[in-house]
Amino acid sequence: MEPIIRTEDLKKLYRIGKLDVPALRGVNLIVEEGEFLAIVGPSGCGKSTLLHILGGLTGPTSGRVLVDGNDFRAMNDADRTRFRRHKIGFVFQRFNLLPTLTARDNIELAQSIQGNGFNPRRFAQVTEMLGIAAKLNHRPYALSGGEQQRVAIARAVICEPKILLADEPTGNLDTENSQLVLNMLRTLNRSFRQTILMITHNPEAAAVADRIIRMRDGRVVSA
Amino acid sequence: MIVVNVLHRPIRTVVSVLAVAIEVTMVLIVVGLTTGLLNDAARRTQGIGADVVVQPSGASFMFSLSSAPVPVKVGDRLAEIPHVLAVAPVLFQSDLSTHGIGVIFGIDMASWNRVSGGFVYLSGESFRGPMDVLVDDWYAKANHLKVGSTLSLLSQNFHVCGIVEHGKGSRLFIPLSTAQELSSSHDKASIFFVKCTDPGYTDDVEAAIQRLLPGWEIHSMQQFMSMMTSNNLPALDTFIDAMIGLAVSIGFLVIFLSMYTTITERTREIGILKSLGASKGYILGIILKEASLLGAVGIIAGYIGAALVRKVLVGSFPTLYVESMSAGWAAKAAILALLGALIGAFYPALRAARLDPVDALAYE
Ligand SMILES: Nc1ncnc2c1ncn2[C@@H]1O[C@H](COP(=O)(O)OP(=O)(O)O)[C@@H](O)[C@H]1O
Ligand SMILES: [Mg+2]
Repeated sequence: MEPIIRTEDLKKLYRIGKLDVPALRGVNLIVEEGEFLAIVGPSGCGKSTLLHILGGLTGPTSGRVLVDGNDFRAMNDADRTRFRRHKIGFVFQRFNLLPTLTARDNIELAQSIQGNGFNPRRFAQVTEMLGIAAKLNHRPYALSGGEQQRVAIARAVICEPKILLADEPTGNLDTENSQLVLNMLRTLNRSFRQTILMITHNPEAAAVADRIIRMRDGRVVSA
Repeated sequence: MIVVNVLHRPIRTVVSVLAVAIEVTMVLIVVGLTTGLLNDAARRTQGIGADVVVQPSGASFMFSLSSAPVPVKVGDRLAEIPHVLAVAPVLFQSDLSTHGIGVIFGIDMASWNRVSGGFVYLSGESFRGPMDVLVDDWYAKANHLKVGSTLSLLSQNFHVCGIVEHGKGSRLFIPLSTAQELSSSHDKASIFFVKCTDPGYTDDVEAAIQRLLPGWEIHSMQQFMSMMTSNNLPALDTFIDAMIGLAVSIGFLVIFLSMYTTITERTREIGILKSLGASKGYILGIILKEASLLGAVGIIAGYIGAALVRKVLVGSFPTLYVESMSAGWAAKAAILALLGALIGAFYPALRAARLDPVDALAYE
């Protein structure tokens, strides 16, 4: 079976003024459907850039990227946006909830952007599983960091994305909340066969994954 | 989300709504004032009771813009036309004190009475001497005049001899001979109001006068009324357009600035929406919807504002007619305000839609 993610010699250059900064220098990566993958590596080695490209937030400079049968070379900005809308869920270190909306509205927003309408069964299932059913009418500022991140995870998975991309999801959380969030990612992976790519600095966090890859200077150094 | 965003930034929202409200109020009041002015003039002209209006060539239906007077003898020839009952020559006079109320009519009381059916005297009586003036009840009220008061007009002191019911051409009447003397236009008149023996003869009389005075401005009262719109007054029309343009610019600029700053503030939020898969069209849509909401609330506030301003104006200036809001103009003002808001929001919305999602997410 075709892997859900395949990159071949993936390169990304950022242009800063007249200087080209290489963020990825040829990444070859294969992820199978249903896998829980942890990505570790020093700061600035290109982990976030890799995730942004896989999620279609930005395009690669060269190399091949195939995600769930979509070849990024043949896709423009609008195509990648549509792809992201239907197949990707993002979770960020800084939670990135909309501050003016309640937890419920933040989650429903993802459903409304996706355009398939509100699915109450899925909504109940996800909020129940993430333990935020009682907090749905709160605004982000009235929630703890752990609760905010669980709302963000709910928002990311509400539309049943093919892939969940998490960029240091426990980076802003204390040990207890980190553990809670990691357990939930683990559960999502186990019970829904959710494919997850998670960036982390924390070896304990990486340990919950099926597989760990290490990056350095824009390359995968050990798989 | 749109409503929440609008409520979340109350000051910005209030300022934007206020700008649109001022815009709509301004449009409606300017239009109300100008059409009120014209309609009032039209009503009063109609109230004279003439069937045909005869003016020399180049004259305007706005009496204050009238051309040079012509010999009053023309009236005698008009009176000889079959089916003409009476002819009233009038000489217009205006000065600063009549500003805003039209012109002073210099009338010959006998012919005026035959054409108009005579004044209704609320107090006092007709002219006794050359320096007598008749004022209508509105003018009297606005200027606190009573019979016997002195009224300074045309650099002369006039004596108020009577107060008449409003609605007959002017608000101020002086004897024709006095008007002629004060303007050194001896034996001249600005206009002739013609009354037929029966209104059914209006067309015949009009045609006969046209043969007699080719090139003159000769209109049945009905035609004359239909001419009294701003479309036939290029200067007024331009003024209205300029005021509307100014009002719309205010709304446009404030909405532009308001949306522009809000987008900078919300860069991260836009990045988040993009990470959720929101398309350019979606982002464009929420910004434009937000501007439309501000516009819509502003329009309603503007309607209320216009009604209040009108009340205050009418209350403070009894001789001022401000037409109340017509459905047509209410709709036009709303469309203009909404378009202004949408165009004002468009560039900020486009900028938001084009933000790079990675940069936007990194924005502090
Ligand atoms: N938007 C950007 N513009 C310019 N340079 C960038 C941008 N994003 C990342 N970089 C650069 O690319 C490299 C990799 O960054 P990143 O992928 O964020 O690393 P990591 O997530 O592993 O810390 C760094 O040198 C960083 O400075
Ligand atoms: Mg990073």
